[in-house]
Amino acid sequence: MARNRFDVDETLETPFNIKHLLRAGVYIRRHAKKMVLSILFSAISAACALVGPKLIEIGLNEAVPNKDFRQLFLLAGIMLVSILLSIFFSVKRSRYMTVVGQEIIYDIRKDLFEHLQRLSFQFYDDRPHGKILTRVINYVNSVSDALSNGIINFVLEIFNLILIAVFMFLCDVQLSLVVMAGIPLFLVIVLVLKPAQRRAWQDVSNKSSNLNAYLHESLDGMKITQAFTREKKNAEIYHALNTKMYKSWMKAQYTSNLVWVSVDNISTWVVGAMYLIGLSLLGPAVQIGTLIAISAYAWRFWQPILQLSNLYNTFINAVAYLERIFEMIDEPVTVDDAPDAQPLPAIQGRVTFEDVTFSYDGTINILEHFNLDVQPGESIALVGPTGAGKTTVVNLISRFYNINSGRVLVDGHDISKVTLHSLRAQMGIMLQDSFIFSGTIMDNIRYGRLDATDEEVIAAAKTVRAHDFISQMPQGYNTQVNERGSRLSQGQKQLIAFARTLLSDPKILVLDEATSSIDAKTERLLQEGLQALLKGRTSFIIAHRLSTIKNCDRILYISNKGIAEAGSHDALLAARGQYYELYTAQLES
Amino acid sequence: MFQIKWVWKNLEGCRKRYVFALCSTALISMMTLVNSFLTAQIMDTVFTPVQQGGGVTPALWNHLVFLVALLIGFTLFRTSFNYLSILTYETCSQKLLFKLRRDLYANMQAQDSSFFSKNRTGDLMTRLTGDLDMVRHTVCYVIRMLIDCVVLFLTTTITFLVVDWLFALAMLAVTPIIFILTKAFAKRVHPLYVDLRERLSRLNTAAQENIAGNRVVKAFAREDYEIEQFDRKNEDYKKANLKASLLWLKFSPYIDGLSQALSIAVLLVGGTFLIIGRISVGTFALFNSLCWTLTNPMRTLGMLINDLQRFFASASKVVELYYARSTIVSRADAVKPTDRVAGAVRFDHVSLKLNSTEVLHDIDLDIRPGETVAIMGPTGAGKTSLINLIPRFADASAGKVCVDGVPVGLYDLQALRSSIGIATQDVFLFSDSVDGNIAYGDPDMSEEDVQRFAKIACVDFAGKLPEGFDTVIGERGTGLSGGQKQRIALARALAVRPSILILDDTTSAVDMETEKYIQEQLSNLDFRCTKIIVAQRISTTKRADRIVILEDGRITDVGTHEELITRPGYYREVYALQNGITEEGGVA
Repeated sequence: MARNRFDVDETLETPFNIKHLLRAGVYIRRHAKKMVLSILFSAISAACALVGPKLIEIGLNEAVPNKDFRQLFLLAGIMLVSILLSIFFSVKRSRYMTVVGQEIIYDIRKDLFEHLQRLSFQFYDDRPHGKILTRVINYVNSVSDALSNGIINFVLEIFNLILIAVFMFLCDVQLSLVVMAGIPLFLVIVLVLKPAQRRAWQDVSNKSSNLNAYLHESLDGMKITQAFTREKKNAEIYHALNTKMYKSWMKAQYTSNLVWVSVDNISTWVVGAMYLIGLSLLGPAVQIGTLIAISAYAWRFWQPILQLSNLYNTFINAVAYLERIFEMIDEPVTVDDAPDAQPLPAIQGRVTFEDVTFSYDGTINILEHFNLDVQPGESIALVGPTGAGKTTVVNLISRFYNINSGRVLVDGHDISKVTLHSLRAQMGIMLQDSFIFSGTIMDNIRYGRLDATDEEVIAAAKTVRAHDFISQMPQGYNTQVNERGSRLSQGQKQLIAFARTLLSDPKILVLDEATSSIDAKTERLLQEGLQALLKGRTSFIIAHRLSTIKNCDRILYISNKGIAEAGSHDALLAARGQYYELYTAQLES
Repeated sequence: MFQIKWVWKNLEGCRKRYVFALCSTALISMMTLVNSFLTAQIMDTVFTPVQQGGGVTPALWNHLVFLVALLIGFTLFRTSFNYLSILTYETCSQKLLFKLRRDLYANMQAQDSSFFSKNRTGDLMTRLTGDLDMVRHTVCYVIRMLIDCVVLFLTTTITFLVVDWLFALAMLAVTPIIFILTKAFAKRVHPLYVDLRERLSRLNTAAQENIAGNRVVKAFAREDYEIEQFDRKNEDYKKANLKASLLWLKFSPYIDGLSQALSIAVLLVGGTFLIIGRISVGTFALFNSLCWTLTNPMRTLGMLINDLQRFFASASKVVELYYARSTIVSRADAVKPTDRVAGAVRFDHVSLKLNSTEVLHDIDLDIRPGETVAIMGPTGAGKTSLINLIPRFADASAGKVCVDGVPVGLYDLQALRSSIGIATQDVFLFSDSVDGNIAYGDPDMSEEDVQRFAKIACVDFAGKLPEGFDTVIGERGTGLSGGQKQRIALARALAVRPSILILDDTTSAVDMETEKYIQEQLSNLDFRCTKIIVAQRISTTKRADRIVILEDGRITDVGTHEELITRPGYYREVYALQNGITEEGGVA
């Protein structure tokens, strides 16, 4: 059941720490060489840019009074070279950083997506899909600049700051201390604003996540909304989320912008104070030349601090997103290969449940002490009331969920000890909801076995009687379809999904309500083709139509957390139990 | 440029504020110059005289205190004003964003199914998140910086021209070249951003489908394949991003070089003028110190143009959504029935074309109020298409569909749909409580009513969930079995007490006993309603007043169960198939 609805903020317990940035370091370290070179290039480029003013000074002091045009042109030439060098290095740095920024988001997104593939059904069942999507796309995009240029600039500005401070102290210690007196004040302001700022940005990320989750769900469920004329109500809900987003954003802006305001003002105060104190100390203690020199540095000293505080905003923002991204990468993989998992060898198709107890949420058991032994090639039908756990039984064979106790064995191998891929690759499962990917019909069927030829795809379609309607479509097998495309009816989607499953040529076949939307006649035809295919395969069939199941070798009536009745169709009818009742109910109706 | 017009139009309500913000930026850009002026004053009028041996007099002291106070006071004023200005930008852009989100959401709700089958969720999400954010970024940042650049550049240019026009022209000589370069760049980068946007949209769609189809991915153990597919899109996006960004780096050396060449002009031209005595040292110093106010705007302009191109690419995608119009809308003179709709439905020689294929041909069917009509037919025969015509999910291409004798097109769309209860084949539940899902059509419904309808649809299992009816179920109802989802959908359809109830294969995954119970409940509803039931099972259709057989888009037979089993045709074949057990088992 869903823990996170669209309107529930996901609370993060971890306090802000540099941890997330450090963790991002894993991604940055791969580009260490480029990062270091970039810093170097930037430094060279900055140094070259410094030459300019000096050259003008020389020109003014020497060339002009001497009316020396040659020197003037010489200086201009040097200046040209310095400018070219400066640009060369700065472009090189930008190029590196662009590449690094893109590589980093590519890598993070890749890791996130790969991790998502390993997460169980439970994970997807639990949260709005829009929230997952926003992280994979929007959040990852948001951190690129902070992790590339942001870090380089951070290093450069610190370097800059130290350099200026050294020069300043070399001029005069006393006055330098005056200039630096503003720092404690600045730190106090930062310390006051920091928690509020972080909370504000976290709130923004929460609110935007909620807004997007709701938007995503709205788009997916639009037909229902329109059918129930709920547009107004939904617009109200969206309006409320939109308002919250607006407010949280503005709140973040109110506090974030205070930082540069305070830096700007504090720097003016200390420089002003330095002028006054400097003049009062003038005399033997402070030379006027020193005073003039230091006042030039005093302004420049605060520039990096302003830049750093802006960078701080960028980082805080990025960390709010990184937290969410890493939270998802850290999501434990509940159904995973055991450390010493072996690939399951080619199987015969024997399935055994040994005293299996299972619960989705840890409180209510769906199955208790469930035992079942299915021989290779046997066909098993599962019947019983809705929600009794028929789907659960078949889901456990593929290990979509972990069982609480007991063992599930395939050909005598405990499935919790084999690799998931080797297990699932040998099973063909047709789920209740047949999902159609966007692409051609051919692609959708081929999803079952990627190396299947067109002929094999068509053969599978013919077996499930899908060939006729597919070939009647304008572009036949190359017709573009998608999940919500109105081109396919529900029954047609099921037939495509059916063909997809058959194509995978599994040893164990699971058909979960595979034919519920298919009309009786098509189903009959399909059954004929299927009978041949079922030979040599173990099959589990869940269906309500008795015509579908009566030919199975064994019918299991699932209720009360276990198997209530088991046997062949005739045997169960003779027993006059629950199956008999079910059967006669269908006849009567 | 229509994108900018569109933004301006939507800024309505805070246009004045936005214009104020634009003006304030212009003022603030000029104010930055004041700071350097004051600092220069302190140097020239206080420190330089002292250095020249003037001694520190009380008058000098007072002068310094005055200048420092002015500097501090002015900084406070400037920063406060700038704070106000920036927050005004934020407010305006957020208000714009707010309004756009609201309008776009409303417009999405007004779209018909053909729109949603053309536009995938992932793509729509890109437009409503990333693209919209680009619009915000432009309104609150790019435009501000543009103004800043232009004002700074113009102020300095004018100052220079006034002081010495020849010197000024010498410095401005490179500007036309920079403009040409910037323009060429804008032209070349635009298609790259259009492409980048498309890649982002594809990436988004790939991720969205993978998440939505996660069960199928796992069932086929296709994780590696999915990763590979996604990786390709991720890579494409990265490449497109690099291509666009690196193009700027191809142009920027020239633009940067030319703008920095201004310093060379200052040295050469200024130096020459000084030598020949055309200008004073003061003029030279002025040109030298303000040189950056020409250089910086020229350098930033390129980047801003870059951002603007992104904006154009994104905004046009948003505008497309903004002005998307559905053909299925209420007419201006639409009828709003005052009384409860009786529930007569008539198909009058109706045909329907979808994607240029005719899926329904000449359907003629008259359903009386309160009647129960079952529709049966092979997969893809057009059953769902037929019932979709009643609530106008699609409009007939020929013929008329009438409710209570009035063509559906004449009704107010909301009024029409609210008199219809529908349970669609592909059950979609919302991530809300069971209770909230049942009361979806009427959020104010009392708890007793919810319980009552839940009982009719046999949603008794909800009581056994961890938190009963308050249990939140996952999006699309994941975590519930197919039959459970269908029953919630049925309860939801019933809960609006519809005049016309449409059940599209709603009980296919429900077991027989439950279905029988539901059928009994349905025939004893405490409100009159016409029931149209699409089904595959004889058990579902048997009790209907009439059964309509739909084959290949045509009605091939109509009659009661008893009538239809006596004559050859689809129904009898299906009956025989489904009762195959009967003959063998010999029970009936």
